[in-house]
Amino acid sequence: MASVLAQLEQSALGTWIHESGLLYGYPLILFLHTLGLSTVVGLNVAIDLRLLGVASRVPLASLDKLFGLLWAGFALTAVTGVLLFIADATKHASNPAFFVKLVFVGGGVTTLAFLRRRVFHGDERGRFLAAASLACWFVALTAGRLMAYVSEFIS
Amino acid sequence: MNLAHVHLLLNHVPTIGFGFGIGLLVASLVRDSADLRRAGYVVFFVVALVAIPAYLSGNAADVVLRTGKELQHDVVIAHQNAAMLALIPMEIVGLASWLALWQSRRWQQPAVLVLSIVTFVLMARAATIGGQIRHPEIVAAGAAASAPSWPSPAAMGAALVLDHPWVWPICEVFHFVGLCLLFGVTLLVNLRLAGFVGGFPLAEVNRLLPWAVAGLAINVITGMLFFLAAPDQYTQNSAFTWKMGLVLLGGLSLLYPTMFDEEPGSTAGILHTAMTRRLIGVCSVAIWIGVIFFGRYLPYLGTE
Repeated sequence: MASVLAQLEQSALGTWIHESGLLYGYPLILFLHTLGLSTVVGLNVAIDLRLLGVASRVPLASLDKLFGLLWAGFALTAVTGVLLFIADATKHASNPAFFVKLVFVGGGVTTLAFLRRRVFHGDERGRFLAAASLACWFVALTAGRLMAYVSEFIS
Repeated sequence: MNLAHVHLLLNHVPTIGFGFGIGLLVASLVRDSADLRRAGYVVFFVVALVAIPAYLSGNAADVVLRTGKELQHDVVIAHQNAAMLALIPMEIVGLASWLALWQSRRWQQPAVLVLSIVTFVLMARAATIGGQIRHPEIVAAGAAASAPSWPSPAAMGAALVLDHPWVWPICEVFHFVGLCLLFGVTLLVNLRLAGFVGGFPLAEVNRLLPWAVAGLAINVITGMLFFLAAPDQYTQNSAFTWKMGLVLLGGLSLLYPTMFDEEPGSTAGILHTAMTRRLIGVCSVAIWIGVIFFGRYLPYLGTE
């Protein structure tokens, strides 16, 4: 396992991400990761707030259109996330905060898919799902943001 | 032009702007005019936004002046603390003014008026001490530049972050929470403004706007704590300058959906056309993406 991670890191792609300068490579991927996550989490939070009673006169049918943008944002975050992982595979694989983040990102995305099926295309009010969604994203953001500090602490 | 120059350009705006805003609010009371009252709130909100770069650029001016070695640094420190003491109530007035523009309540006008007058006095004090930095001739003989009894929130903020290693990471977490609130809600509102989602009035989705402003407030507070703890990391960085310029524009762009959310009817002027709305919606989203871009590139760009 360790050798696979090291191979990933030292692959042509892994090296390119680190060594392609200040404009492309690592900083650009990091920016796109942030842009993607703030689109997914931000729009999802807005939807959650709507389901919890803020702006309750905005019809859900109108917001259904947002799912295209939500999934696009998630795809961008996932692809750039994989690239960021490749660049520092050994470091991230030994970081507990990284796994907490993955679990709660999974929870957030699953909740979003449930929200669409059961609330947008079903007849549930979705208050519980909305609260679960907010909680998942908060933990995912916290764990993701603390990754840098946790890896510093354990090394 | 450097940031010290920016400070010279902006440093009179908070005091004079608040004086102007107070004048408008008093006039609105005398003449019982809703238009004057809203104008006063707009002035307070805009000045509260401009006061942020005015404060930040002051640190850069300090760096420039320090190399000259000709000024008393304790006067600069006293000015900085006085400025922060005025900036805090100024941001609260800005926030309250935004709320009043969003949804008018009876108690808001007297509350904003009283707090803005207190702020004006504190800002005038900061400005006076600031004037002493370059004009020692106006300092009364024997008068200490700073009365030791005044609280120093700038020093307290820096100490909070520097003395506790967990404060910076916690602030980072909340900076991202604020970012998601601000970006997500403004994205939805601007998509509606630009016509990419529809089927409901703008005024309905505007019920969400306070959550965006709460995100902005969280990020101003956590961002200011970063800045207080490590000012040189930011004042010497051009990506930070760009980010702050865009934050100012982004804050201003919040005013449009806040103030012009009635449906374009028969009396629709240039401000209400679908084209104007689409332009403002698209530009606002682009501005916030720019803020994220320069924020993320901050460690990589702009540090020579």
